[in-house]
Amino acid sequence: MHSPMPSLRPCPKRASDDIVRTAVRMGTFVTIHVVGAVGHKSQAESPMLREQAVERAFAWFDRVEECCTRFDSASEVMRLAAQAGVPVPVSTLLYEAVQFALAVAEESGGAFDPTVGYAMETRGFNREYRSGREIRTALDCGRPGSYRDVRLDPERKTITLLRPLVIDLGAVAKGLAVDLAARELSPFENFAINAGGDLYLGGRNPDSEPWSIGILHPRSDTELIEAVRVSNRAVCTSGDYEKRSADGGHILDPRTGASAHGVASVTVVAPTAMLADALATAAFVLGPADGIRLFDRLGVDGLIFSIAGSIPGSTPDSSTDTDGVTPDSPALTRYATQAMHEYL
Amino acid sequence: MRSDDYFDERAGAGQRISKSLVTLSSTAIVAIYAAGYYRTSAAAHKFDSQTEQRRTVAEVTPAPPPTPENPPAPAEPLGSSSSPAPVVKKNVRKPAAANRKSGSASTESGESPATASGTGANAAAKAAASAQTSYKDGVFLGWGSCRHGDIEASVQIQDGKIVTAAITQCLTRYSCSWISPRVPSPVLPDLPREVVERQSAKVDYVSGATESSYAFADAITAALSKASE
Repeated sequence: MHSPMPSLRPCPKRASDDIVRTAVRMGTFVTIHVVGAVGHKSQAESPMLREQAVERAFAWFDRVEECCTRFDSASEVMRLAAQAGVPVPVSTLLYEAVQFALAVAEESGGAFDPTVGYAMETRGFNREYRSGREIRTALDCGRPGSYRDVRLDPERKTITLLRPLVIDLGAVAKGLAVDLAARELSPFENFAINAGGDLYLGGRNPDSEPWSIGILHPRSDTELIEAVRVSNRAVCTSGDYEKRSADGGHILDPRTGASAHGVASVTVVAPTAMLADALATAAFVLGPADGIRLFDRLGVDGLIFSIAGSIPGSTPDSSTDTDGVTPDSPALTRYATQAMHEYL
Repeated sequence: MRSDDYFDERAGAGQRISKSLVTLSSTAIVAIYAAGYYRTSAAAHKFDSQTEQRRTVAEVTPAPPPTPENPPAPAEPLGSSSSPAPVVKKNVRKPAAANRKSGSASTESGESPATASGTGANAAAKAAASAQTSYKDGVFLGWGSCRHGDIEASVQIQDGKIVTAAITQCLTRYSCSWISPRVPSPVLPDLPREVVERQSAKVDYVSGATESSYAFADAITAALSKASE
């Protein structure tokens, strides 16, 4: 399963009538691939219909980004930040995204917390990627808030911030956009959406097999550390190699305000990308053993690679099906959920 | 099945949520998709009206319910309703494109009148139509950076469309050879295929993004933002 990739060449599998489109969305490359009708009699739709569906799928990324971005003070989520103390009617999109983020926070005991936005901002994650200008939110925070300072009213669809907070939907929004795009493409059955390494794989690949997804090696941009085969599943990987600040990884432990250490990468296989993305973030903070336990409890699957010896009191434990040190990466320890082998 | 009661009493609610987290994510997708663009827009305008005293900007009138004879203008980004100068950039091709798409997209019922013709599908299509043809012709440069260094990309726009995209400068500690083909790619969609997906014969796609791909995406985005100024 360890697949060094000496050459980076285009995939040979695409049929001639596949549609593959890539565009820059949400600060990364988004590729949408709809498998053509050849060999798939259920996909008799015209190419034009497929093209239009792909356009609509991309539009969901725009819609989610303009609602959820921290980097635009006019975005709906940032305007919410300016109105602490009052119930604010919000769009269905923002309401559902926040509701889901709070549920994950509750479930993970605060290891995932969407209210770490302000901490992110103060630690240097404040550059808007389009313009390069810095953002600064004027908040009189006093004690740091937490997800418990957010109230939802399910009847009136309002959100109330009990104290000034910046809600960071970064770990939810991209997955949400992937899921909405996937729903847009669901009539076509066989498709792939790749948003900067966060994926949803519908149906089967052009060879009529489950999609094969390589997992990037956390210590090498040109190697895979593992590969999974999935169908109708999201695969999201969160790595400590992604955007970093000067003083640590980009994923913060909301309970301490510090960067989480010890985990090199987390991959989650789940029914939705939103869930996979959020749980990958939570597992980063929880560490490998607790992360795997969380996945098992929630019925999702995952792989965690940790930096061996870096986590005090968190040695691989037999109940989590650890494979021990992998031959190709002696510095990394691999953890997996019980049912993960079904995808390997 | 969503349990609403945990909103009132958060303490100890974890156990009740735990079984439904997978379900909750799925129902959220369904709810947002069903609401589509116009319903979310409407809520945002309500939001705007609450906050307009804080700003001195002109309010954008919510779009009237679209009719077949009077297709709605391309959906403007939600954020524009609160920007200092909500300029509606119109391209003559957009309304036609939006009209064609709304005709082909299925219309779902069950929503309020304002949303009956604004399903996520066709409304999103209009947003796509407005998002795709707003570039000025020319060659535009942008920078992106990661901790390994900086990458400059150029984007060439012709007739409002991206025709080429390439890395023009690579000031990273490592070679950009794997990120950039020697010959500039004919169109943007082909170039990052090698960057992000990095296909091999063994896998269809790769999960996990590299810093360099972020830097290149940032550079492309910066270049495109100049093209749409």
